[in-house]
Parts: sequence; structure tokens; C-alpha cells
Amino acid sequence: MRGDTLISCAGRRAAGVLLRGFLILWAAAVIYPLLWMMISSFKDTNGIFLSTWSLPDTLHLENYVMAWVDYKVGQAFLNTLFVTVLATVLNLTMAIPAAYVIERYAFRGNRVLMNFYLTAMMIPACMGWIPLYFLLFRLNLLDNLAVLSLIYAVGKLPFSIYILSSFIGSVPVTLEEASIIDGMSRCGILFRLLPQLIRSGIITVVVMNVIQFWSEYFMALIYIQTPEKKTLGVMMNLLSNNAQHQNAWGALFAGLVISTLPVIIIYATLNKHVVKGMLEGALKG
Amino acid sequence: MNQKRNRRMFVLFCTLPTLLLFCIFTIYPLFDGLYMSFFKWSGLSGRRTFIGLNNYLRLLKDPVIPRTIFNDYFLVAVKVIFIMALALLFAVVLAQLKPRGTAFYRFVYFFPNVMPVVTTAILWTFIFSSNMGLLNALLGAAGLDELKRSWLGDLHTALPCIAVVLIWAGVGLFMLMLMGAISNIPRELYEAAEIDGAGRWRQFCQITIPLIWPQIKTSVVYIITTTLNGSYVLVQLTTLGGPANATQVMGSYLYQQAFTNYNFGYAAAIGVMILVLNLATVLIAQLVLRREKVEF
Repeated sequence: MRGDTLISCAGRRAAGVLLRGFLILWAAAVIYPLLWMMISSFKDTNGIFLSTWSLPDTLHLENYVMAWVDYKVGQAFLNTLFVTVLATVLNLTMAIPAAYVIERYAFRGNRVLMNFYLTAMMIPACMGWIPLYFLLFRLNLLDNLAVLSLIYAVGKLPFSIYILSSFIGSVPVTLEEASIIDGMSRCGILFRLLPQLIRSGIITVVVMNVIQFWSEYFMALIYIQTPEKKTLGVMMNLLSNNAQHQNAWGALFAGLVISTLPVIIIYATLNKHVVKGMLEGALKG
Repeated sequence: MNQKRNRRMFVLFCTLPTLLLFCIFTIYPLFDGLYMSFFKWSGLSGRRTFIGLNNYLRLLKDPVIPRTIFNDYFLVAVKVIFIMALALLFAVVLAQLKPRGTAFYRFVYFFPNVMPVVTTAILWTFIFSSNMGLLNALLGAAGLDELKRSWLGDLHTALPCIAVVLIWAGVGLFMLMLMGAISNIPRELYEAAEIDGAGRWRQFCQITIPLIWPQIKTSVVYIITTTLNGSYVLVQLTTLGGPANATQVMGSYLYQQAFTNYNFGYAAAIGVMILVLNLATVLIAQLVLRREKVEF
């Protein structure tokens, strides 16, 4: 009897060590590429390829200048920033009122509308590439960053509406009723009261969408043609393909840091909200 | 009366513009794509010629198509198995055993979901590359020189390597989802099971799994759709479907048919195929994973 517990105790400890080791291993697998990218961005070509494992001898900051100016990562960064911000704002402007009305107003068809959006999530994005390309071509709207933002914003509507409506559903109606008695109009409630009540939900949606918009590749590739309007994804892929011909490895890694760090920082600062948003039933079964 | 009208106007104002835009950018392309798949059409200047079901007949004869379907479903299967296993393991360990550093692991494991896919693609291309890759360096250090190869250029290893990257990039999100579900399970259930003498493994099988089944189901369905509708991005950015179509998936093939070969009608037919397979697979998955809902 005592022997049994001893063995199971030792077994448990061994399992614990094994699990701990695996957790550390996975963390290393996640962090290593990022760390290597950061370190390499401060090295020259020799440093990157000959002393892969060491820290840079001197900080080759010229990599960043080269990436930002010569390889037009700066321009692409600003384009991506523009598209991401505009798409996020447009998405919220459309999604918050829709989610609010679907959740709070029992009008005919609000369930139908919700299910319609949810079902539409199943439509593969690649099916839209060709028809949208020609639609935009006929309307003379190709090669337009604002239009690209609108497409991003609309494409993420089902996701945003779904998450926001579940947050609105978890807020008690009493506050809105009290505001109506205080003489607040419907629009006042929607635009002034509601955003405060579902702050966590809005932040969750914003972070998840920003991550998507920031790194979108295919639509930016198809709908944008002028080199000056290219976004980071397309530009970095181009730079990566050219790096070996132009010996631009340092610039490539600097560019990667420039295009990756912003989303990591946003996630790191808003991490608590995102996790909270996820845990608080944002993604119910 | 006025109040009622006011209310109706407000509902319309909130839903109609959004719905209209959504239909223009999502529903119209769906039907236009369907329509286009019945034409032979080579682009902006070319004329559309109605060819009935010929594009679909071509799908059946094209030797690349079975390859892409196989590759897509290989990725679906591998991703569902490994992402769910790892996400479940991490979620249970972090949410229930709460080892030191839980917050750190939860924070870091989500990084790959945040990183731009282009960054992921470029960094992993380096890891797998033949002459300066980390993987070959590790193999060399371990004295396994005969295993060294160009991992993404090898017919046999290219697709599994893509799968590894997709698993690496996917685990964090599902771990978070499952952690949320697990931490909602009332503690008393485990305490009662403990008193009844149920070990950790039995608690896991008979309490945790049944109670988070809805989230497991959602995760599996979500992995299926995002794989069939999205793995082509990584493929296009790492191997372009090569070597010799070894990593070609339906979406990357669609892109190449449309914007490299200008076979827009045929590409539209591939799009319809992706939609149909996607819907069918999700439907089957829903049926297979259906279980009585457990209440607590």
C-alpha cells in the first residue's frame, strides 16, 4: 500500500518534470525565431550567416535605414498603418450598430440576420478574388488603399458582429432603460453609452482585427498595383525574394522587425483585455 | 405611432447600410464566381465564351486537382490532430495544474497567432533551408548528417514541413479558447470526483472533456474551415506549391490559374469546388462530433 503511493508519487513527479520540460521547449520554439530575427537585424551579411549563434559585433543600424528608405519598407509601413486604422474604424462603425440592434431590438428577422452573417463566414475568401477584382476594375477602384480598407472591414463584419453581440448580451439592460428615462435618444445610447459598456469587447475585436488587417497578403497583392501603394506583406515578400540577389539580408531582417514589432507590441499592451475577452465567453461553443 | 416609426428607422439605419455593403463585397462575388465558372475567359480584354460545364469536366481531368485535394485534407487531418492535442494539453496544464510561469506561457504561446504570416513564412523558410538552416545545423551537431536536406525543396518533406509551420502558428488561439472553457468548470465537480476516488486521468475523460465538448467542436470546425480557406497563404509564401506540386493546395492553385495563367473561368470553378468541399466537410464534422449537451 505504502509502496504504491510512493511509486505513484514518483511517477507524478516524473510526469511533472516532463510536462515542465515540454512547456519550456514549446516556449523556446515560439521565441527562438523572433529572437533570431531581432538579433540578425543588427548584423551584416557575414554576421548573419557565419556567426549565426552569436550577438552582433557592432550594431549595424544601417540595416534599418536601408530597409526603411532603399527598400521602401517605410512607405509600405505607412500604407499598412493607413489601411489597418481605416479598416478597423470602418469595421467598428458598421459592426457596433448592427450588433446592438440584433441583440437588443426584437425586430422581425434579427435571428435570420445573425445566422446569415454567421453562415457567410464559410464563404472562402479566395472565391471573391476574381469577381471583386473585375468589379473594382469596372468601377475604376483598383489600386486604391481606401477601397482595400473597406473590403477588409466588410470581410471581418461577421466576426465582429458575433463577438460584439455576445458582449452586448452580457450587459444588463437596466442601464439603457435608465438612460431612456433620463431622456437620452436611441443614437445617444448607441454612440455614447454603449461603447463604455462593452469596452472589453471592442478592444478584443480591435486587437483581433488589427492583427488580421496588418498582415493580410493576398488581397493586397491582387487589388494594389502601384509600387508606392504596396503594403508590408507584399513588400516584405518582394524583399525576401530579392535579398539573395542584392545581398540585402540585413535589410530583410530589419524589415521583418519593422513589420512584426507593432503587432507584438499591441498584443503585449492589450494582452489582458484579449485574454479576458476570450475567456469571458467571447468564443462560446 | 411616431415612436414606432422612429424605432423602425433606427433599426434600418443600424442594419441596412452594413448589410448592403456586405452583400456587395461578399454575396455578389459568390454568385458572380458561380456564374463565371461556366465561361472560358482569359482576362480583361478577352471575351467570355459560354462553355457550360466544361470547366468542371476539366477539374475532373486535371491531374493536379486530386493532388491539391489530398494535400488540403492532409493538412486538415494533421492540423486537427496535433493542434487539438497540443492545445488541450497546454490548456489543461495551464488552467488546472497552474505551474509557475503560467501567465508567461499563456502570453508567449499566442505570439505565432499575432505575427504577420509573411514573417512566419520567411523565418521558417530560413529554418528549413539547406545551407544555413537551423534544422540542418541541429542535425549536423547531433551527427545526423545523412538526414540533412533542403526540407522545403524535397518532394517527401515539403508538405509535412508546411504542416509543422501551420501547427506552430495555430496552437495558441485554441489553447486560449479551451482554457476559457476549462476555467468555467465548477471546482466542486473535481472535488466530488476526488472524494469518489477518481484519478486525474478519469477526471479528465469524464469531467473535463464532456464539459468542454462544445468548444472542442467549435475548434475543430474552425480549424477545418481556416485550413481549407487559408493554408494557401503560407504555401504561396514558402513554396509556391512546389516542388512539382508537392505542396500545391486548392487555393494556391486557384491563384495561379487566375492571376498567373489568366484562366479566370477555370479558376472560378476551382473556387466553387473549394466552397462545396468546405461546406460538406464542416457538415460531416458537425455530425460526427455531435454529442448530447452536458449541463452543469
